[in-house]
Amino acid sequence: MTVVTDGQERAGDVRLGRVGRGVRVAVALVGIGLLINGSVRASDDAWPFGPMSQYAMSVPDDASITYTRISAQTDAGTTVDVPLNIEGAGVARAEIEARTGEIVKDPSLLQQVADGWAKKHPDKPKYVKLELIRDTTQLVKGRVVGPPTPAVLATWEVRR
Amino acid sequence: MSARTVATRAANWFTPAIAFARIAWLRTVLYLFVIVDMHAFVRDTRLKGEHPGLYQPLLLARMFDLPKPTVFNTTALYVVLIAACLVGASNYFPRIAGWIVAPAFTWWVLIGMSDGKVDHDHLALVIALWVLPTVKAGRRGRASYNDQARSESAGWVIRCVQICVIATYFLSAIAKLRSAGWALTWPGSAVLTWAIVRRPHPVGEWLLHHPWMLHVMQWVGITAEFLSPVILWLKGRWQLFGALFFLGFHAANTAILLIHFLPTVVCWLAFAPMERIVPWFQRRRASDSDAGEAEDQAEHGREAKEQAGA
Repeated sequence: MTVVTDGQERAGDVRLGRVGRGVRVAVALVGIGLLINGSVRASDDAWPFGPMSQYAMSVPDDASITYTRISAQTDAGTTVDVPLNIEGAGVARAEIEARTGEIVKDPSLLQQVADGWAKKHPDKPKYVKLELIRDTTQLVKGRVVGPPTPAVLATWEVRR
Repeated sequence: MSARTVATRAANWFTPAIAFARIAWLRTVLYLFVIVDMHAFVRDTRLKGEHPGLYQPLLLARMFDLPKPTVFNTTALYVVLIAACLVGASNYFPRIAGWIVAPAFTWWVLIGMSDGKVDHDHLALVIALWVLPTVKAGRRGRASYNDQARSESAGWVIRCVQICVIATYFLSAIAKLRSAGWALTWPGSAVLTWAIVRRPHPVGEWLLHHPWMLHVMQWVGITAEFLSPVILWLKGRWQLFGALFFLGFHAANTAILLIHFLPTVVCWLAFAPMERIVPWFQRRRASDSDAGEAEDQAEHGREAKEQAGA
């Protein structure tokens, strides 16, 4: 039987040689293999061949949903939530959440947050004390009941 | 059908003949997108050079023993990337520029994601940058956008990008099974409620009162993710419907979760017959001038149309 290819072949087409086609097909297959391996057994560490695990977890109907934030006392005497993004204190909330354990063990890591804020907003009140806070929202039968409960995980007196 | 025929057909599937013009358009769009990405999405790489405190190198960075980010190397990376992207986008010296952009941008993203959080929207873009320079350019510069000569090396690049776009969805469905210990519990779970509580905004807070709607969305989402590979074999209008569905999916995700996935969205262009843009434009212009010229242009248009659906 005749080989049918995608679309019609035309005289002007630039064809690949045996080696060129073989190498390309092999590279594509290895790539697909790496992707499958990543999804089945690897972690985010294997980027870009890691699993596509964003929002992939099954959250039970009675889950406690935690949300980590940093609260700051300023030298103007106010208490504010630190804006956890690049423009705010130069560090993203996801980074703080991913490193919570380390920050609890070594609260001095929070110094970077105060430095980032002071550098980006030299005209705004400085942070004098930072608190890493975890808010917990309780689900009952898949619905949110009541406001979140805060818990302080780490405290850091900012160095000048 | 013999085994040999099957193997040949499979190999041909990976290397369809596609016009160089589509590669030219893809180069321009993706290299310019990289510049946007560096400022809008993976934008904290230089900042990490200033504060490497939370730096935690990923596997690739450890394998190649990449140096820790510093102000000097991240600034150099920035300058080199901008320059190489602008050159590559012009389709003059696109291969030299492309071979610079691919490793440089990979490193850029590796640093950006080396803080304990990895995003999953960059697969297709990063792979596209690595495969684009493998195509030997036909015509250069402006002429490249209407280069209707077809090549199998161009087709392989397009196929690789298409596969990565689709893999982004299909593998997300796999990850949802895996995280539940290989069980289908995700679509009935409270995952969207969880996501909205953590990133509150008006649309989401309204949806929190109607969990059944969130469950419907979860079922639609995971079903579409599982079926996404079908799009690779759809043709013409049906493929367009598939693409539009997923663009709508991203619009909904942006509204509900504030997650845009633009680096993947832009790679959907690999499915678009962009080689038809210049002939279409010429045809339109020709219809305003004399008839003989118009016929000539229409001929070009037909030629381009035959390649659609690849």
